[in-house]
Amino acid sequence: MALLEVQNLHTQIKLKRSVVQAVDGISFSVEAGETIGIVGESGCGKTMTAMSIMRLLPNGGSSPEGSIFLDGRDLLQLDEEEMAGVRGNEIGMIFQDPMTSLNPTMTIGRQISESVRIHRGTGKKEAHERAVEVLQLVGMPSPMQRAQDYPHQLSGGMRQRAMIAIALANEPKLLIADEPTTALDVTVQKQILELIDSLRERLGMAVILVTHDLGVIAGRADRVNVMYAGRIVETTQTERLYANPRHPYTEALFDSLPERGAESGTRLYSIPGLPPDLTDPPKVCRFSPRCRYAQDDCRAQDPPYRVDEVGHEFACFHPVGAAERSGEDLKVTLSEATSRQELPAGEIGDVLLEVSDLVKDYPITKGLLRRQIGTVSAVAGVSFTIRRGETVGLVGESGCGKTTVAKLIVGLEDTTSGAMKLSGADLAALKARDRRKRSKDVQLMFQDSYAAMDPRMRVRTVVREPLDIQKVGDKAAREARIRELFDQVGLPASALERYPHEFSGGQRQRVGFARALAPAPKLIVADEPVSALDVSIQSQVLNLMKDLQTELGLSYLFISHDLSVVRYLSDRIGVMYLGKLVEIGPAEAVYSRPIHHYTRGLLDTIPVADPEVEKAKASAGVAGELPSAIDPPSGCRFRTRCPAAQELCAQVEPPLAPFGSDGHEAACHFPIWK
Amino acid sequence: MTAYLIRRTLQSIATLFIVSLATFGLLHLMPNGVVRGMLGQRATPQQIAYVTHKLGLDKHIWDQYWIWIKNLLHGDLGTSYIRNQSVDNLVKETLGQSAYLVGLALLLTIVLAVPIGVLQATRRNTVTDYTITTLSFIGYAVPVFFIGVILRDIFQVKLHWIPTANQIDSFSSAFGQPEQMVLPVGTLVIGLVAGYSRYMRSAMLDELTQDYVRTAIAKGATKRRVLYRHVLRNALIPMATLVGLSLPGLVGGALLVEQIFNIQGIGLLTINAAQQNDFVVVLGTTMLTALVTVLGSLVADISYAALDPRVRLT
Repeated sequence: MALLEVQNLHTQIKLKRSVVQAVDGISFSVEAGETIGIVGESGCGKTMTAMSIMRLLPNGGSSPEGSIFLDGRDLLQLDEEEMAGVRGNEIGMIFQDPMTSLNPTMTIGRQISESVRIHRGTGKKEAHERAVEVLQLVGMPSPMQRAQDYPHQLSGGMRQRAMIAIALANEPKLLIADEPTTALDVTVQKQILELIDSLRERLGMAVILVTHDLGVIAGRADRVNVMYAGRIVETTQTERLYANPRHPYTEALFDSLPERGAESGTRLYSIPGLPPDLTDPPKVCRFSPRCRYAQDDCRAQDPPYRVDEVGHEFACFHPVGAAERSGEDLKVTLSEATSRQELPAGEIGDVLLEVSDLVKDYPITKGLLRRQIGTVSAVAGVSFTIRRGETVGLVGESGCGKTTVAKLIVGLEDTTSGAMKLSGADLAALKARDRRKRSKDVQLMFQDSYAAMDPRMRVRTVVREPLDIQKVGDKAAREARIRELFDQVGLPASALERYPHEFSGGQRQRVGFARALAPAPKLIVADEPVSALDVSIQSQVLNLMKDLQTELGLSYLFISHDLSVVRYLSDRIGVMYLGKLVEIGPAEAVYSRPIHHYTRGLLDTIPVADPEVEKAKASAGVAGELPSAIDPPSGCRFRTRCPAAQELCAQVEPPLAPFGSDGHEAACHFPIWK
Repeated sequence: MTAYLIRRTLQSIATLFIVSLATFGLLHLMPNGVVRGMLGQRATPQQIAYVTHKLGLDKHIWDQYWIWIKNLLHGDLGTSYIRNQSVDNLVKETLGQSAYLVGLALLLTIVLAVPIGVLQATRRNTVTDYTITTLSFIGYAVPVFFIGVILRDIFQVKLHWIPTANQIDSFSSAFGQPEQMVLPVGTLVIGLVAGYSRYMRSAMLDELTQDYVRTAIAKGATKRRVLYRHVLRNALIPMATLVGLSLPGLVGGALLVEQIFNIQGIGLLTINAAQQNDFVVVLGTTMLTALVTVLGSLVADISYAALDPRVRLT
């Protein structure tokens, strides 16, 4: 028998008036020492599956039905006390956000030793020693000292290491990692994923890796379960799944990935519609309303699991992929689905925005008189241009200053020095009043549209507000403009009366886009506009942004930590590190022929949704963590983490210099190529 | 931390200065002035002139203020117009029993409200929770003086459970007759517990939904352990702030209670002085209340920083 056997698991969540079938009859097993991936979009039941195994369901959630055997013992039959003996002892779990998942008023040493004391009944001193030992195991530098720290004193990556230490303190047989790296930077994500992998080998434990990110799972999992609407729709070995997905949903997920679009230069596929309401799931194929291959039988009954010759399981009447497709099915495929459209190519005109030597320092004060004792150097002399109709992407780890650049350009922060010329006029030099008038030319699109809208305003008012402020036309003209905007972003006019919470995440991002478009700006600064969205919804928003750029001649400054999204949308990419622009150039050039070692490292850390590529990766990515911007390293700021750093790098700051004739520039003494 | 304390102390002094100015100014706006108020409507102009001069009230208001401030800095709050006694003395005679009343009420409130809040949060939306919620709304809605009068009428007048003994006019008489303090303290506690337990309940509910609670359960911690080792401490942090900030309100509540139960405390002193236009006394007790308020908020901030390692006072 396998280490973990989940059989016909049903988990219901009771709400006030209804019951949601969050997990609806799934079965899978995990062998000792194996990594199983569970992948799917938000609301598909992947986290609920993990929580069901731990019996950590939210209050009011009725206990799961079916059986979950761990080493032959059915966890669902245990009483609460016995279950507490399993949690943290036989099964360890780590969560998405290490900041909120740690107790803020308890040192991490105590949080780890607590786990030891509960299960091993050891004394305080012994448990503390074990805590330090485990911190060492998870690669925490100077573990003795860090054990005395509170969570807020550690960086995000270190916090997640502490979380892992808590979960592994008693060497469990199974580790459940629920989106363990979603809240972390890509560079740190790679470190954490590698840590989990190496610990799995050393401790001989099994891992269930729950994630929405097909890239994260590609190089780590032995087998993958793809979930949709509370069910596992497809399951097989990782390599086989990525090479030959059989369920149309899995295929659609792959097609929505921005890296696929960027490679082929085609429009991203986006899955139409929304997942079904799980309070009363239809008795047919749950994906059929959104499926590009759906036929009458899909809409008439629920497809059973099928296993093909190689042991690839899926629940579909008309599977895609290689093995056994009949000629008739193929016809449908060709006519409807594979008609991939070429990306619209807009015209790029003259320079719209010219940013030169942009600097932003935040003072640090201390003492009675709040004397300034230092500065946080958030942006340190950044220069670049954006042309009409062009998209410039800015990438970098959190804390690199990309969001500060956005705030400066939009006018949410005042510059310390430097100029930002928008069609000739320097925004940084304008008086507040004139600046406000010019703000109609530059608009901002937010990451979290829900947080960025007044929850008590109808979206009509939300979108009309910039028009009111800029006094555009009369009442009728504004109303006409709002309708036009809603039409442009693909929302029905009937949606105008609704409140922000009545929209789905993707629709809300469209409303946010409409608001940004309202005063007919020339430049839209988009700060992580799709980071909070599922991959299928993300592609809808990206496509829309691309379409409207061509239609309206817009320029974008597109900021994201996700290099593949940036690559898909951008004409040029700028890479920021600790307040400096270290490389900028045409998107494809930066992506395929990076000059700066940081760019190279960053590219290597992005998880690619291809197991072969992932497993072949030899580079360590970027080691260590971002140094503090309070006292940044002398010379080249990246030198402390750079594999090619020499003495010169500490002494002289490398200037941004051109490489080749295509406008590719980088700031490095020892570039990867010349 | 030192810099913070110095800055806060300076701020507190500024606050007290402004309070003194405002109070001084307001009292001088009294119709017909202080002296007519003291001597009554039938006083002759000569009498009024005489008394005005004697009390130094014929000087310019700024001079009067200057003299008062100068004396204050020497620890002299002035002399009562009516009682022929220094305000310092009056405060000394009354402060003890008032502080005892308020302190005891506060202590009991915390001892009661914290467990009640915890109980409600852990039994959320059960009969227990609803019952306590209803009771606390009643306790919160009914004015302090009404509760006081009802308690007095029932337990002292009707049932004679507590003798209507001597008035409490010193700290030792308050301390020495615990039975006499039951009703006044109880009156204050009812209103306070109602408010505090609501606060504790919502603080607990807030903390119970935090992610770290899930982590603790995932560690294998029992419900009890999660509740007492993790949630309770974090829920108590906002409570510490509440205690500091509710001090001035408590002084106000004590004022009414002292009147109902005839405790010769600082509240009663203030009320009587105000009715008699004894404005030097009112000024003195107002300054004292302001001091308690300022100190209360300082204590709130410091205890917040002491309990929460994330907060650093700068």
